[in-house]
Amino acid sequence: MIVELGHYALVMALAVALLQSVLPVIGSVRQDAGLMAMAPAAAVTSFFLVLLAFAALTASYVTSDFSVQNVWENSHSLKPMIYKISGVWGNHEGSMLLWILILVFFSALVAFFGGNLPAALKANALAVQAWITSAFLLFVLLTSNPFQRLTPAPIEGRDLNPILQDVGLAIHPPLLYLGYVGFSICFSFAVAALIDGRIDAAWARWVRPWTLAAWTALTAGIAMGSYWAYYELGWGGWWFWDPVENASFMPWLAGTALLHSALVMEKREALKIWTVLLAIITFSLSLLGTFLVRSGVLTSVHAFATDPTRGVFILGILVIFIGGAFTLFALRAQSLKHGGLFAPVSREGALVLNNLFLTTATLTVLVGTLYPLVLEALTGSKISVGPPFFNLTFGPLMVPLLLAVPFGPLLAWKRGDLLAVCQRLYAAAGISLLVALAVVYFSTGAPVMAALGIAIGAWLICGSLTDLAYRAGAGRAGLPVMWQRLKGLPRSAFGTALAHFGLGVSVIGIVAVTAFSTEQVMTLKPGEQAVSGPFALEFEGLRPNTGPNYTELQGRFAVSRDGAQFATITAAKRVYTARRMPTTEAGILTIGPSQLYVALGDETPDGTVVRIWWKPWVTFIWFGTVFMSVGGIVSLLDRRLRVGAPAASKARAATAGQAT
Amino acid sequence: MMFWVLAAILTVAATISLLVPLARSASRQDGTNEHDAEVYYDQLREIDRDIESGLIAQEEAEYARAEVGRRLLKASKTDSRQSRARSPLSTAARYVVIIFLPLMAVVGYLAVGKPGMPAQPLAGRIEAEPDDGNDITTLVAQAETHLASNPEDGRGWDVLAPIYLNLGRVADAETAYRNAIRLLGSTAPRQAGLGRALITQSGGIVTAEAQAAFQAAEELEPGNPLSSFFLALGLAQEGRFAEAKLAFERLAANSPPDAPWMPQVRAHLQGIDANLAVAGEAAPGPDEEDVAAAMEMSSEERSEMIGGMVAGLDARLRDNPDDLDGWLRLVRSYMVLGEPEKAGDALGRALENFEDGSAGRLALTRAAEQFGLIPQKVEQ
Repeated sequence: MIVELGHYALVMALAVALLQSVLPVIGSVRQDAGLMAMAPAAAVTSFFLVLLAFAALTASYVTSDFSVQNVWENSHSLKPMIYKISGVWGNHEGSMLLWILILVFFSALVAFFGGNLPAALKANALAVQAWITSAFLLFVLLTSNPFQRLTPAPIEGRDLNPILQDVGLAIHPPLLYLGYVGFSICFSFAVAALIDGRIDAAWARWVRPWTLAAWTALTAGIAMGSYWAYYELGWGGWWFWDPVENASFMPWLAGTALLHSALVMEKREALKIWTVLLAIITFSLSLLGTFLVRSGVLTSVHAFATDPTRGVFILGILVIFIGGAFTLFALRAQSLKHGGLFAPVSREGALVLNNLFLTTATLTVLVGTLYPLVLEALTGSKISVGPPFFNLTFGPLMVPLLLAVPFGPLLAWKRGDLLAVCQRLYAAAGISLLVALAVVYFSTGAPVMAALGIAIGAWLICGSLTDLAYRAGAGRAGLPVMWQRLKGLPRSAFGTALAHFGLGVSVIGIVAVTAFSTEQVMTLKPGEQAVSGPFALEFEGLRPNTGPNYTELQGRFAVSRDGAQFATITAAKRVYTARRMPTTEAGILTIGPSQLYVALGDETPDGTVVRIWWKPWVTFIWFGTVFMSVGGIVSLLDRRLRVGAPAASKARAATAGQAT
Repeated sequence: MMFWVLAAILTVAATISLLVPLARSASRQDGTNEHDAEVYYDQLREIDRDIESGLIAQEEAEYARAEVGRRLLKASKTDSRQSRARSPLSTAARYVVIIFLPLMAVVGYLAVGKPGMPAQPLAGRIEAEPDDGNDITTLVAQAETHLASNPEDGRGWDVLAPIYLNLGRVADAETAYRNAIRLLGSTAPRQAGLGRALITQSGGIVTAEAQAAFQAAEELEPGNPLSSFFLALGLAQEGRFAEAKLAFERLAANSPPDAPWMPQVRAHLQGIDANLAVAGEAAPGPDEEDVAAAMEMSSEERSEMIGGMVAGLDARLRDNPDDLDGWLRLVRSYMVLGEPEKAGDALGRALENFEDGSAGRLALTRAAEQFGLIPQKVEQ
C-alpha cells in the first residue's frame, strides 16, 4: 500500500504544482495578496508530497519489493543495504524522482527563507519553479514512472549495474543534482524578474547565495564523479572530456561566471541584464545536460535504459523552457533598468574579464560536445572530438584567466590601480617563478610547459594568500593588529581566498599528473617485480574471494621502496553473480599526495596482464575542489548574505512578521 | 479500502494547506520598494563596518555612501504598487483549488496507478506463501533464504542442487553440489550431478574437472550408467577413440537394450567408428566442436569435411606462419585424431617460427606438455 500511496502522492504533487504554476502569477498581476501567498504554501506542500513518494520508493527498495518494476530491474535481495538505498537513484526513473525531490526542496527553501522577498517576486519565482516541477513530474509520470507494478511479482531482482555498486553512487548524483537544480532558483528568479519587468535590489542579493550554494554542490559533485570514474573504471584517468562530463562541466563554467557577475550586481548594481542572461544560460545548460544524458543521444554509464519517447519529451521541455526564457529575455531586457558604470581597471572590470573568458570557455566546450552529435544527426558520419580539441581550445583560454585571477580580489571597486596591485603581487609572482625554476631544476628535461603550469598553480595559491595578507594590512601594521583585522574580515573574503587557493591546488595536480605520471602495461607471474616511479611492486599472485553478491580474483602486490616493503596493494577482477558482469577494481595506494594505481587485465599463459600507473600529486586535483567547495560554504555563511533581509531591521520586524 | 482512506486524508491535508493562505484575510502587504530600501540601508551599514575594520578608505566610503544614497532616494520616491487585500479573485481561486486538486489527483492516479495493490516485500512473501507448492521458484527462493542464514546445512544444498540443474541454473547447481559434497560427503549421485553441472557450463565439453567428478562417482558406484556414459564421451572428445569405443561398448553391454541412453550410445559408437576410419587415412583433424558437428553427417561427408579443414589450416599456416592460434589448433587437431607423429611434426614446424622465450613458444610448449608430446615439467 505504501507503494501506491507514494504513487498517489506523486500525482497529487503534479496537481499542486500545476496550481502553483498559475495562481500566483495571476496574483502578482492582479496584486492579490492571497493568491501570491499561496505560492509558498504550495511549494512546501509539493515538497512533502514528493518526499512521501520518494520515501515510498526507497521503502520498496529496502524491503526488496519486486512487485515494483523499477525495484525488480535495479535491485537484488542480496545487495548490501547501502546499495539498496543508493540504488533508488541508480537508474533513470529513480534518479528523475530524486531530481524532482531536490527541485521541490529548493522551492520549499525559497518559501521558507523568502520571508523578506517582495511578495510579487517571490510568487513569480515560485510559479516558475512550479512550471519546471510540473514539466518534470509529467515526464516522470508519463514516460519514466518508477511506480510501475508487476504481477505476479518476480522472486528475485536483476541487480544494479555493478559499476554503480559503490559509495560514489550514494554521494555523486545527489550532490550533482543539488548543483544542477540549485541553478533552477537563479533561473526562476531571472524569469520572475523578466515577467515583472524590474530587477529589485533584493533580487541581486538573492541570486548570489543561491548561485553559491548550487555552485558549491556542483563543484563537489563533479569532483566526486571524477574521482569515482578514476578509481572505478580502472582506466586511470580523471577526466575524459566525455560528453557526459562536459554536460556537467558547462553549467559549472557558466555558474562560475554567474557567481562572479552576481557579485558585481550585488555590490554595484551593474551587469544586471547580463546576470539575468547568465542565470538563464546556466540553468539551460543544466537542462541540456539532463537531455544529453537521458535521451539516449549518448551512450555511457549514465545513459541507463533509453527510450525515444523520453528523448523527445525532454527535448520538448528543453525547447519550451530555454526558448521561452530567451524569448522573454529578448522582449523584456530593454525595459530593465541599466546599472552603474565603471572603469575598465577595477574589480568590476576584472570580473567582466572573468566572465568573458568563462563564457567563451563554456561555448568552446558546448561546441566540442554538440558538434559531433549534430554532425552525426545530419550526415550520419561519426567523428570524435576528443581531448586534443579541448586541450587546444580550452587550455589556452584558461591560462590568461588563471593568470588574471589573483588581480581581481585585490582591485578596488569602481576604480582600481593596476600598478599598485601589481606591486602587491610581487611576492606572489616571485614565489611562483621560484617554484617554476625549482621544478625545471629538479626534473631536468621536464617539459617547460609543465613548469609553467605549476607556476600558474603556485601563482593562484600565493595570490589568494596575498589577498588575505593585504587585507589584514601586511606591511602596514604589526602582527597583533593584522591578526585582529584578519579575524574581522568578512567570511566572503576567506571564501574567495579559499576558492582561488583550491583552484591553484587543482591546477598543480592537473599539470603534475599530466606531465609526470607514468604508465606501464606488463605481464606478471607471481613473484615477478615491476618498477613504477620510485617504487617496486612484487606480484604475490591471484586468489579468489567472495563478496555478498560477487566473486572476485584478487591480485596482491607488495610495494617496496629502496628494498623495504611498506604496503600492499590489492586489485581485483570481480564478477557480479546476478548479472554475470565483470568489473575491474583498481588497487590504489596513496603515498603523500601521489598515488600508485594498479589495474588487473586478462590472464595469459605468461601471467597476468597488469597496468600500473604512478601518478604524482594526483590527489591535489580533488583536494583543490574540496578547498573550492569549502570556500563556497564559508562564503555562504557570510553575515551579509543573510542580512539582505529587511526582517533584520528591528523597525520592520513587526510588519515583516505579519506579512509572513 | 485502507488505501483510499489514507489517500483521502492526504488529499484533504494538501487541499487545506493551499486554502489557508487564500482564506486568510491578507494583512497589509509590503510595497516592493520597501524591500529595496531595506537592502540599501543594509548596504550603508556594511560600508560603516568596512570603515571600522579598515577595509576601505574614508574617501572610497564616501563615494560608496553617495551611490547607495542615490539608489535609496530613488527607491523611496517611486513606491507605486500597493497590494490589494482579500478580493473576489481569492474566492474564485479557492473554488479552483477545492475542485481541481482532488479531481486531478484521483483521475490522474486512476489513469496510471494500481489502487489498493499491496506492497510485496520479499521477506513477507517468502513467509506468507509456504503452502504454494506449485511455484517451484518460490520454493527455491525459500530454500535460498534459509541457506543464506544457514550456509552449513548440507541437506538443504543436496535438495536444491538437482532442482537448480533442472531449472538450468547450472552455476548455482555447481555451488550447491560442491557444498553438499563438502558437508555431507561424496556420493555417486552428487559427484555425477556435479559433473553434469560442469559439462553444461562448458557447453558440452567434458572438462578435466568434470571427468574427475565422474571418476569419483564411478569409484563410489562402479557401472553407474551416467558416469560411464560421460567418461566415455570424454575419451571420445579427447580423441582417444579406441578407448572411448571400448567404454561405450562396455556401457551398452551392461545396459538393457531399451534403456533411454542407448540411442545416444549407439550414435556415439557410429561416430567413433567413422573417426577411427578417418584417422587411418593420412588426414587432418578438427577440434571437438567440429567432431560433434561431424557426427551428424554421413561418413563420406565427414571425412571430406575434416580433410578439407585441416588441409586448409595447414596451407594457411605455410603462408602465415606467425599465427599462433592456428598452430595450436593444428597440433590439437592431430592429437584429437590420435596422430601424435603428425602432431609432433606440426609442433616442430610451429616452433621454428617463434623465438626462444617468446609468448608463442611458451604457449606451444605448454600445449605440447599437455598432449604428452614432450615430457611434462614437474610442477612445484
